[in-house]
Amino acid sequence: MSNEPMTTKADDAIITVRNLSKYFDDFEALRDITLDVKRSEVLCLIGPSGSGKSTLLRCLNFLEQYDGGEVHLDGELIGWKDISHNPRKPLSSEALRKQRQHIGMVFQHFHLWPHMSALDNVAEALMSVRKLTKKEAREKAMTALTKVHLEDKAQNYPANLSGGQQQRVAIARAIAMEPRVMLFDEPTSALDPELVGEVLSVMKDLAAEGMTMVVVTHEMGFAAHVADRVAFLDSGRLVTCVPPQEMFGREPDDARVRSFLQTYRERNVV
Amino acid sequence: MNFSFDTIWHNLPYLLAAARWTVIISVCGMAISLVWGTVLCATRLSANPFWRSAATLYISFFRGVPLLVQLLLFYYALPYVGLDLPAVEAAILATGMCSAAYTAEILRGALQSIPRGQTEAAYALGIPSFSLWRRILVPQAIRIGMPSLVNELILLVKVSSLASVVGISELTRIAQNITGETYRPLEIYITAAVIYFAINWILSISGRLIEKKLQIG
Amino acid sequence: METELFVRYGPALLYGFGITILCWLVGSIGGVIVGFLLACLNRWGPRFIGWVIYAYVEVIRGTPFMIQLFILYYGGPYIGLLLTPVQAGIISFIIYGSPYFAEIFRSGFNAIPKGQIEAARCVGLPESRILWRIILPQMLVPITAPLTNFFIILTKETAILSVVTVPELLFQTQTMAAETFTFVEPFLVLSLFYWLMVVVTGWIGARVEQRVTRHLKRA
Ligand SMILES: Nc1ncnc2c1ncn2[C@@H]1O[C@H](COP(=O)(O)OP(=O)(O)O)[C@@H](O)[C@H]1O
Ligand SMILES: [Mg+2]
Repeated sequence: MSNEPMTTKADDAIITVRNLSKYFDDFEALRDITLDVKRSEVLCLIGPSGSGKSTLLRCLNFLEQYDGGEVHLDGELIGWKDISHNPRKPLSSEALRKQRQHIGMVFQHFHLWPHMSALDNVAEALMSVRKLTKKEAREKAMTALTKVHLEDKAQNYPANLSGGQQQRVAIARAIAMEPRVMLFDEPTSALDPELVGEVLSVMKDLAAEGMTMVVVTHEMGFAAHVADRVAFLDSGRLVTCVPPQEMFGREPDDARVRSFLQTYRERNVV
Repeated sequence: MNFSFDTIWHNLPYLLAAARWTVIISVCGMAISLVWGTVLCATRLSANPFWRSAATLYISFFRGVPLLVQLLLFYYALPYVGLDLPAVEAAILATGMCSAAYTAEILRGALQSIPRGQTEAAYALGIPSFSLWRRILVPQAIRIGMPSLVNELILLVKVSSLASVVGISELTRIAQNITGETYRPLEIYITAAVIYFAINWILSISGRLIEKKLQIG
Repeated sequence: METELFVRYGPALLYGFGITILCWLVGSIGGVIVGFLLACLNRWGPRFIGWVIYAYVEVIRGTPFMIQLFILYYGGPYIGLLLTPVQAGIISFIIYGSPYFAEIFRSGFNAIPKGQIEAARCVGLPESRILWRIILPQMLVPITAPLTNFFIILTKETAILSVVTVPELLFQTQTMAAETFTFVEPFLVLSLFYWLMVVVTGWIGARVEQRVTRHLKRA
């Protein structure tokens, strides 16, 4: 599959992150991160475990309240009502809900609702957030499930789906809301190796359709072939953010990136 | 109505003296419960189907009938069969026998939660059955069951208030008597409640300390 | 002789059984509702309410039901709270049961993986909807057994109401025993009634448990 950047791709940023910082008590999880995500871009976040990849991703939809800096989606400040005041005041849960509808998220451990069928998992927000009727919601949910090739598993409960299928339902649940961006936090890390491919393939399709995606991943193949840019995080800092050819092509300049990628090279020798 | 702290102050010594009986009944009840509960538990787990179902029946009866009813049965029915126990002893026996049904189940649950592999490992090492129980299974069962056993003791403290119904001068009964004289039910019963609460509070703190001590690592 | 006895006292015993069931049902369902509200307040309310609830739970669980009943029934009139025995019985039952129920609900809330709630927030579900559609239905799985268990415990606590002359089962049985000088028969009948309540409650609990765990079964 070819990954030439599409010529039609608009060059404007959809997400802008400026001087973002985040503390867990005294521990500085993110320091001074500045980053843009362009419309229809696929940005992969890589880095050692504990480097703050999840935290960064979760700040983008305010699952974590960031302490310093700003995150904007299409020019709208995410999460805070007003940052000129100290301490900052978060938005009402109502306003936060409005913002989050535009940001889809997929988790490492799927987090499907086990007491609902695959179809109802996808239809739930369409009914209660989009206010569609049950029938409309189910039709739309079915379309989303078809996109992830699970139309024949619509009535299954999560317990009766494989990990790969559960993750695809989780993707369908997010895309059914027609978000402007999609966030993926290690979407294949909890999967048996033979199930990774089906999830990555769905993600590739999404990327090809022009979905803006931020993907935390350890699948270097995916990062190399699907991403437009790859960002490397270490100890809460953004070390570099470059096109994959630069990240993986030649010997990277930064020692941290070099040693991180080295471990992958060694493993892939098998 | 004004809350009279005087009444409380004057009657506190009597209430505290009565609380001694509350403690005696519940501690003796717990002792019976532990011994009898262990026997029941062993019977319940025995290979003999007759003993096994006898223990099951016992447990389901004592857990299925209100303790107050059991207490009245002990108190009124035992003389019929020629056993004339003094009231306090009858109360202790009734609470102990009832509580044993719960203790047996606590111990059984604890025993069954010990991984089977340990037993197998012990047999593989040639450790005899008796040592296996004494040195490996029982100590672990007690440690695992300790929080529930402390809970059971706290329950017995509360349940001992039922003994007032058959006229034993424990805390609740004395509180009733004092109320009859002073017409100050609110003050007296609240004081009694505080005393009960204090006893249970001490018990649950010590329980947590023991638990910590028993923890390995 | 015995049949004659039960013809004479049968209605009273049945009436007593009815009162027992009334106090038990109204009291424990009231306890469930109050307990649920307490657990919700504890989870979503301000910090200090959490402390108040904690104190309430500890105090009620640390004192005998009988004392609570006495405070309400005998102490109530002194603060202008005049209650009939049945009213006092039901209200004290609600007070007595609610902290236990609150604790059961609290553990139920905690049993729902946090990620599922985050996932719900990510698609924009309102908090109330998250409670009703995501948390409650799943919470039923871990709480059904302890709820059933506590309902069963409460069936037996009803006997204590006889002490403040609530005309329930034990009260009627004692009356019968005292008037007829029989002992074994009335208490056998009484045990049978309690046993019936326990068995039926246990059966209903098992059915409910089966129902709420349906989705966890692998096909
Ligand atoms: N809720 C939290 N409370 C305290 N520390 C946290 C929390 N979440 C993450 N951290 C810490 O922040 C750092 C970054 O975590 P994370 O973003 O999960 O890393 P990654 O996803 O890159 O593995 C880690 O050191 C982690 O221990
Ligand atoms: Mg992570």
